[in-house]
Amino acid sequence: MKTKGGKVLYFIVVVIFLIFTAGPFIWAFSVSVTPEFEMFKNTMSMLPSKLNWDNYVTLFTASSRQNKILFQGMFNSLKAVGITLLIGLPVALMSAYSLARLEFKGKKLIKNAILITMVIPVFATVIPLYRIFVSYQLLDKMFWLSLVYASSFLPMSIWLMINYFSTIPVEIEEAARVDGCGRIRTFFEILMPIAYPVVISSALIMFLSAWNQFQIPLILASSFQTKPVSIVTSEFMVKDSIQYGITAAAGLLAIVPPAATALILRKYLVSGMTRGTGK
Amino acid sequence: MKKKHKGALGIALLLPIIIIMAVLVYYPIIKTFSYSLQKMKLTAPQDTGFVGLANYRSVLESDSFWYSLQNTLFLLVVVVLFTTVFGICVALMLNVDTKISGLLMAAAVLPWALPPVVNGIIWRFIFYPGYGFMNKLLIGLGVIDQPIEWMSHRFLLLFVVAVVVAWRSIPFTAIVCLAGLRAIPHEFYEAARIDGAGRWSSFRYITGPLMLPFIGIGITSASITAINIFDEIVALAGYSDLGKNLLIESYLTTFSFLDFGKGSALTYIIMLISAILGFFYLRNLTREVEY
Repeated sequence: MKTKGGKVLYFIVVVIFLIFTAGPFIWAFSVSVTPEFEMFKNTMSMLPSKLNWDNYVTLFTASSRQNKILFQGMFNSLKAVGITLLIGLPVALMSAYSLARLEFKGKKLIKNAILITMVIPVFATVIPLYRIFVSYQLLDKMFWLSLVYASSFLPMSIWLMINYFSTIPVEIEEAARVDGCGRIRTFFEILMPIAYPVVISSALIMFLSAWNQFQIPLILASSFQTKPVSIVTSEFMVKDSIQYGITAAAGLLAIVPPAATALILRKYLVSGMTRGTGK
Repeated sequence: MKKKHKGALGIALLLPIIIIMAVLVYYPIIKTFSYSLQKMKLTAPQDTGFVGLANYRSVLESDSFWYSLQNTLFLLVVVVLFTTVFGICVALMLNVDTKISGLLMAAAVLPWALPPVVNGIIWRFIFYPGYGFMNKLLIGLGVIDQPIEWMSHRFLLLFVVAVVVAWRSIPFTAIVCLAGLRAIPHEFYEAARIDGAGRWSSFRYITGPLMLPFIGIGITSASITAINIFDEIVALAGYSDLGKNLLIESYLTTFSFLDFGKGSALTYIIMLISAILGFFYLRNLTREVEY
């Protein structure tokens, strides 16, 4: 960045990048506050003539149908996030610790068998799961739905954690063990304080993956009590197809929880991913 | 004795994931394979039975399959190309340390946090066939006179889908590549400078080669994303025939036409294509980088 040419190039790249990244959000917001009648009118003006908050008022009015649908969806998604984190994090940590730190027969096979499932299309597992869910009447059970979510992104978390653990010299833990520190204490008091960025970034990835589910709940979640916000938002578009404004507003509200969490934890995301992928 | 104990602990810690994977992934996959060899339509529940490879034959003989395969391959090429090229650009930009790098990092993370289906909805307003943002912009700039019907032409629609998916998958590739950039020891550049290497040759002979494994991870992850595109197509074009890829085709066969046998066969064919990618994925994921 020392030369003038370099500075100009950097400036241009930054501007293009910001327009492309922020643009879609700004436009969606603009659609959400544009009065319905002027939205797709044959006009060249980019911005609404006046701000119209009706769509947000409707969504936040406790008695409206849209309010119930949207916030039940949000609540369902949060519940799924909670369950997947409670199950997913301990399972991922145990698996990654075992695969990164312990030696035993068949380790490589198990590791590959877990990692390869990252490429399996969702429908390959969901078709039989649908029949199982129907016959055991699990279609309305949040727990089982969340467990299916977890099975789809646990391999990714385990992979990140294994790589992160393997960048930490094992001698530190061995020294603690020689000093009489038990395996469990070594894990929590020696390894975790060093490895916590990857735990936080894995938790974030689990949060986002659970919140973003669409294909699995499309088939396995049919009821009002399990449908996540992603499905609900897409149904806004079909059922309220004329009302683009409220769809845009609902879409923007649906991204607040994941976006806010990602922004707050982004530091860990980068450090966790940096060492988690940079093996 | 101690070693044996360690081995038992290793397996014990893996038990939960082994059970989850066995019950929710491996058992269903085997089950799907057995479905694919049977006649199994929910519209005719009594009429079932083993039919061998008939479902596979029926998939491979349908025009609909080849049409959606073409769409999948088109999406694959465009998404991987866009994601990789722009992912590397964003990584290079984020690697520059300036006053606004923190802000840029925040902006870069944002698209990645979006639910894919909401991503599709948001972009739908931009490519709205009438006077959406893109048409207004292009008309305003004098590029076109009449609004473009983005969703009514096959490859235009697929191109829009590819752009929208790439937009969401660029951050991952960028962060992985950034990890690669930061892992390169600084001494390499200094040594090169002392040897008289210019900026370009440093990039060409140091940055490029050492980044390759990370770009590899980016490319494989983008390919898997591209093959599994579903949400954005639904949000942008619905379950229409025009823009359907293999996944939409498999969804429609299984859950709209309720032909579980044929749908399972189709899913297995998709899985076979993914498995080829998966092979490269595993190789990239488990490769050691030597400096």
